[in-house]
Amino acid sequence: MRTLASLLTLLLALSALAGAQEKPYFVTYDHTMEETGNLEISWQNTIGLQQQGLPTFYAPFGEFEYGWSGWWTSELYVEGATQAHDSTIFTGWRLENRFKPLNGEHRVNPILYLEYERVSEGSRSNVEVVGHSQPDATSLHDLHGVKSHELEGKLILSSNARGWNISENFILEKNLTEDEGVEFGYALGVYRPLSMIASGSNCRLCRENFTAGMELYGGLGSTQGFGFRDTAHYLAPVLAWRVGKDSTLKLSPGFGLTSNSARMLLRVAYTYEVEGFGAKVKKLFGGRP
Amino acid sequence: MKIVSTSLFFCLMVAALATGIAQQPAGPDPAWVAPAKEAARRNPLAGRPELAAGGQKVFNRGCAVCHGDEAHRAATKAHDLGSAAVQAQSDGALFWKITNGNARKGMPSWSSTPEPQRWQLVLYIRSLGKTADGGR
Repeated sequence: MRTLASLLTLLLALSALAGAQEKPYFVTYDHTMEETGNLEISWQNTIGLQQQGLPTFYAPFGEFEYGWSGWWTSELYVEGATQAHDSTIFTGWRLENRFKPLNGEHRVNPILYLEYERVSEGSRSNVEVVGHSQPDATSLHDLHGVKSHELEGKLILSSNARGWNISENFILEKNLTEDEGVEFGYALGVYRPLSMIASGSNCRLCRENFTAGMELYGGLGSTQGFGFRDTAHYLAPVLAWRVGKDSTLKLSPGFGLTSNSARMLLRVAYTYEVEGFGAKVKKLFGGRP
Repeated sequence: MKIVSTSLFFCLMVAALATGIAQQPAGPDPAWVAPAKEAARRNPLAGRPELAAGGQKVFNRGCAVCHGDEAHRAATKAHDLGSAAVQAQSDGALFWKITNGNARKGMPSWSSTPEPQRWQLVLYIRSLGKTADGGR
């Protein structure tokens, strides 16, 4: 209890030190790019409650997102997994790049996404759900050595209207290590802030600091069998709370919709924005900020 | 296969570093002009100056990192928002620029900030002009 209280105190202290445009989504991408020169550090946690008789898993991952320019954002992920009565393993890393081809704001804003992954079959982060799925019954210990190289592309379409964000992601993934064909997936999301007007006070619990929405994501098979058969799908309410100027807490209970899905994916994340990170690094090495 | 993927990774990293370090050129962009229809829009919150305080909060959260804590005292390359050049623009033009951003110059689009809050930002930016003019 004391540890929890200390952690909460530290969190609030950090948040006071630390404005980013933080979306509540865990899986879906909208067209918000990282602000130029800012570094966003995120610690995300997924607890998976599987179908009857299968072990519960915990999959943490760290995310480092940097805005190179107004049209280019990069992200590096490192992830691990723990399964009940099983092993704890490092499951790999991912490097993604997002490109905004059109300047300005449009009715529908396209973003191009390209990712390279070096992950083991023991990955449980479920940051994207593609292809066919089976319940995760195999021991992490046995999967640790089964690593794959994967390339992933996404077409992100996103719109902002009347305070709402509506985003659609179409996903293609190719395993370069094994011949699984090209796998397909989707993610759809919608969110809205709870208040449209900003109050003048520095309140933490006022409605303007909360954003709520819903995500729907899942696999669509592969070139070896396109469709919904043997695929996992999740419906997940999402909530984001801006606890400070640059920090956000996010929560999402995702409910499995098919027998190939986990029963629930409970996600919690803490995100901290380091403003002007690029300028600080340049200054450190004697450059002009 | 390992060689291919490792090479791919390093190519991506090198490309990222090279282009990232280059960044975008600083300075004004003469092509960044609000369309006439957008520039003619009026601030629906113009009669509620008390809402500028909320605009200041939004400003400090998202804009101050580039435009400076008190905007017109910016030590960065971003525009001095209290300057005559900025204050001469209509409310609609400022709103359009906040909404659309200018990716070529590193100004992000703030379209995910609710529309009323973007108008609150315009209210706050107007108050900076008054401060710079000594309250005139």
